[in-house]
Parts: sequence; C-alpha cells; structure tokens
Amino acid sequence: MRVVIAEDDALLREGLVLLLRSEGIDVAAAVDNPDDLVTALADHQPDAAILDVRLPPTFTDEGLRAAVEARRRVPGLPILVLSAYVEDSYAGDLLAGGAEAVGYLLKERVGKVATFLDALHRVVAGGTVLDPEVVSQLMVRRRADDPIRALTPREREVLALMAEGHANQAIADRLVVTETAVSKHIRNIFAKLGLPPGEHGHRRVLAVLTYLQTSSA
Amino acid sequence: MRHRLTTLWLSTRQLAPGLATGFAALTLLPLSVFATLLALVNPGRILPGAPVLHALANHERLRIGAPVPEVTEPTLRDPVTRRNLLWLPWHAVANTVVSLFVLALPLASVNALLVPTFWWLFPADDPIASPYPVTSWGVAATMPLMAVVYAVLALTVTPWITGVFGRTAGRILAVPTGARLAQRVAELTASRAAALEAHGAELRRIERDLHDGTQNKLVAVAMHLGIVERELRRDPDNALPLVLRAQDAATDALSGLRDVVRGIYPPVLAERGLDGAIAGLIARCPVPCALTTLGPLRAPAAVESAAYFVVAEALTNIAKHSGAQRASVTLTREDTLTIEITDDGHGGADETTGTGLAGIRRRVAAFEGRTEVTSPPGGPTLLRVELPCGS
Repeated sequence: MRVVIAEDDALLREGLVLLLRSEGIDVAAAVDNPDDLVTALADHQPDAAILDVRLPPTFTDEGLRAAVEARRRVPGLPILVLSAYVEDSYAGDLLAGGAEAVGYLLKERVGKVATFLDALHRVVAGGTVLDPEVVSQLMVRRRADDPIRALTPREREVLALMAEGHANQAIADRLVVTETAVSKHIRNIFAKLGLPPGEHGHRRVLAVLTYLQTSSA
Repeated sequence: MRHRLTTLWLSTRQLAPGLATGFAALTLLPLSVFATLLALVNPGRILPGAPVLHALANHERLRIGAPVPEVTEPTLRDPVTRRNLLWLPWHAVANTVVSLFVLALPLASVNALLVPTFWWLFPADDPIASPYPVTSWGVAATMPLMAVVYAVLALTVTPWITGVFGRTAGRILAVPTGARLAQRVAELTASRAAALEAHGAELRRIERDLHDGTQNKLVAVAMHLGIVERELRRDPDNALPLVLRAQDAATDALSGLRDVVRGIYPPVLAERGLDGAIAGLIARCPVPCALTTLGPLRAPAAVESAAYFVVAEALTNIAKHSGAQRASVTLTREDTLTIEITDDGHGGADETTGTGLAGIRRRVAAFEGRTEVTSPPGGPTLLRVELPCGS
C-alpha cells in the first residue's frame, strides 16, 4: 500500500512516517501544506491520503478542504482525515461527496496502532470509518422526526458500529451476538430508514449517510 | 475699596486673554462660516478647520472652568462641534467688542485725570474729547470728575461683564448632558466591543496553542508508545530509541503547556509583582535592556497581565527584528500605567506585517488604553502604551 501524508506538525509527521513504514506501508510523500499535498497526490497516485484537518495557512479546516478537493480531482480516492477534536460538521462536509473510502478519526487513535491500521485498510478497501466519538456525538443529538429514532437501541448500536466501518462479523463479535442476528438488525435498519433493496455494501454507506445527514441538518 | 480694586484686577486678568482669543476667533470666523455652509449640504462631512476651532474652544473651556469634551468626528452631527460653532461668532464679535470697551475704562479714567495737563496742546478746531470736547480750562476742571465716573464704571461694570460673559460662554460651550452621555455610551460600546474582541482573540489563541501545540505533542507520545508496543512484540531492541522519543515528546508537551498557562496569566505576576515579572523578562532578553520603574507598580490583575504581555511582545520584537544593541523599558504608574519601550535598532517597524504590534494594540484597546508607535526607517523605535488602571 502506498500513502501520502499531510501533517504540519513535524514530530507527528515523522512519527506517522515511522509508524507506517515499520508496518510495511510505503509512504510516498509526507508534506506539511495543502498545495504540496495536491502535487504529491498527482505525482505519486497513492492508494490513500492521510491528512490533518488543520493545515497552513490559517490552521482552520484547510485539510478538510484539501480532502474535498482531492476527492474532486481523483474520485473515490481513499482519504483518512485526522482531527484534534470531534466536529460532526466536518464529518458531514467530508461525506457530502460520498461516504465510500472515507475515514474521520481523532488524532490520538494512531496510538492504538492495530486499530489505526485496521481503519486505514478499511478506508482503502472503500469503507467508511468514523471515530467512535463522532458517532456517539451524532447519536445524542436527534430530532423528533428523525428516522433514526425509530430504531431500537440495539439497532442503533449496530448502525453506530457500521458508521465506524465495521463488517458484520466484527459487529457480531463486539456485541457478542451471532452474525445472523447482526444481519437481521441491519435488514431492519435498512427497512426503517426506507433504503431500497439492492446492493448490500452500497446500502450500508447510504444508511451511514442518512444517519449523518439527519444529524447535521 | 481695596477689595474692589482686587476684583477689578482679577476680572481684567480674566477678560484680557479672552480678548486675545477673541481676535483669533475673529480670524477663524470666515473659514468656519464657509465650512458650516458647505456642511449644511452634507452634515456627515468633516469640517475643515475644526481641530483649530476645537482647540480654541477648549482653551476657553479651560479658562472658564467648563468640562473639556473629546471630539471623535468633527461634523455637524457632533454636538461638541455644533456648540463650538455657535460659540465662535459670540466670542469673535460680542466678546471682543465688549471686552475692548470694558478693558479701556481704567485707561480712560487715568486719561481723564491727565487731560487738564495737556488739553491746550490740541488745536481749537479738533480738541481732545473725554468723552466731551475739552475746549477751556473750565471744562478741563471737570475732568477729575469724569475720571471718577470712569473709575466707578470700571470698578462696577468690569466684574459684572466678566461674570456675564463667563456664564454665557459656559452655557454655549457646555455640551448638553444627553449628548455627553451619548458620547460616553458610544466610547464604552466601542471599548466593550474591543474588549470582547480581544477576549475572543485570546480564547482562539489559547485554543490553538493547546490543540496545535500541547495536544499534538501528546498525540506524538501516544503514537510513539504505540510503535513501541508493536516493536516490543516483534523486536524489543528497536523499542528503546522510540521510548526516548516518546519521553522527549512528553517533556515538550509539558513545556508547551507551561507556555500556554503563562500566556493566560503569568504565575510570576502573582509571585513577584509586575516589576519583578518584567525584570525577569528583561533578564531573559538577548538584547541588553535597562529597566526604570517610577511609582508603586501594583495594578489590577488584568492590567498587569496586559502590561506583562506588552513588554514580553515588545522585547520579542526587539530581539527578533530590530537589530538593536540596546533597549530600555520605563514603567510609570500614575493614574495610568505608562509603558515606554525604546531600542536603538534600525526602526521601520511595520504593524501590518506580523502579529506582535497588532496584538499589543488589540490588548491595550481592550482596556481603553492608548498605543503609540514611532519607528522611522533607521530608528530609533519607540513604543508607548498607556493602560488606565480604573482609579
């Protein structure tokens, strides 16, 4: 796997490079600003981009805008965004152009290397990975007419884990239920959110998007 | 009698300078009339000559003991400027003419006394008049009587006229309470907005320092420990340098945290007072720097914090940009806390580049303070800050 990193803090940038390389991931370029990121993406055609939300010059959401721009230039480019804090509107912006192959994690998640690598692989495989913090923040702010409210607590748990990017088996393991039970919950979720029957993976993404859009509206 | 003479003397001393400013007002009158006519078309227009008029009117206010107001924008909408414009013709014409007459009374009295000694020098067809023509010794003999009349007039009219004119000018120049309050409200609103803005900027700065500095370092600690964990499982020999790096990052995070705290409220202020804290700043400044303090430097905590920030920023600027060999810091505590910082560097400090001076200005404005920077190319640079201390 080849990745490009955009992180302005030198210590973190070098640490990320070290971490990824020692896990056998090829870091094609590690840059510290959005312009160099665009160039690096064009030069190296990586499998994924890992970037910080706050980049120069204003250190607000340049990274996020760079991500949106990168996805516009290379549709479907897997992007994993790291953020110092949870801001669900960021997640909304990021997923507005499609939720496939997008990840949004708190920076400190890189400390749990195995989980972080797992998230990266799932994003590269086209999955959606949202930080558990983002998910729990989204869960508490629901409106009365929100279709999510029709879900049972267990179904919400399943949806939250789907939003974090987990596959059925992983969800089953976490909730200590059978995979069959998880599949049943997921079918109920799709029905309650009014998602048409069709391709399974796509509907998962749609469910997550519904979940996000109703929350950020 | 003696009392009356004193009163006459005091009144004369009050009237005479008014006569001088009256002539100044007379020369300013045509310009002001013209400017007012222009401004009638557009009341928002800044009046030309208004600063001179305002200075003259304030001079008069000081003379008669009326409160001296500030003018922020000298247009016809400004109540102070309107009052100044009303006062100008009064002062230029009525005050001048009457003052001339009144001030001449004592001289006329002396003159009348002396007329009998020289009236005969004047030709018969153009005799001296004081106030009636003196054409014979008989008429001249009445002159001492006339001198008494002038003297009595001077003793009675002069104090009275002085009082009347002083009160009238006071009434014209006094800015109505409502307008004064409105002006004060406008100033307070602006300073409150500046305070909120400065407060917001402070919060944003602290947030950024914490997120981009301290938090990043802690993330780096967690990340390196994560790599250590993986290496310990695979090849423990590789782990040691990573542990050291994690340790360094943790140390960095702590020192960064200290900096953030110092930026919020420097603990040294509480421990050693403003002068001690600033002495500490000066000791750390790479450019040799002299400190002078006048008066006890205690001030409200927020003011001390701002003063400390101003000196810290200024010294950083001097060390980084000025190329100075020496600098000096002077702190004077009277009603306001005044900070003057000079250096012998190359000057040309530009407020539009960098955030140092702009930051100082914002922080000082939050306290309704004043910031002045003079920094001609080639130097020297002088930064003068006044911070009101609420006393």
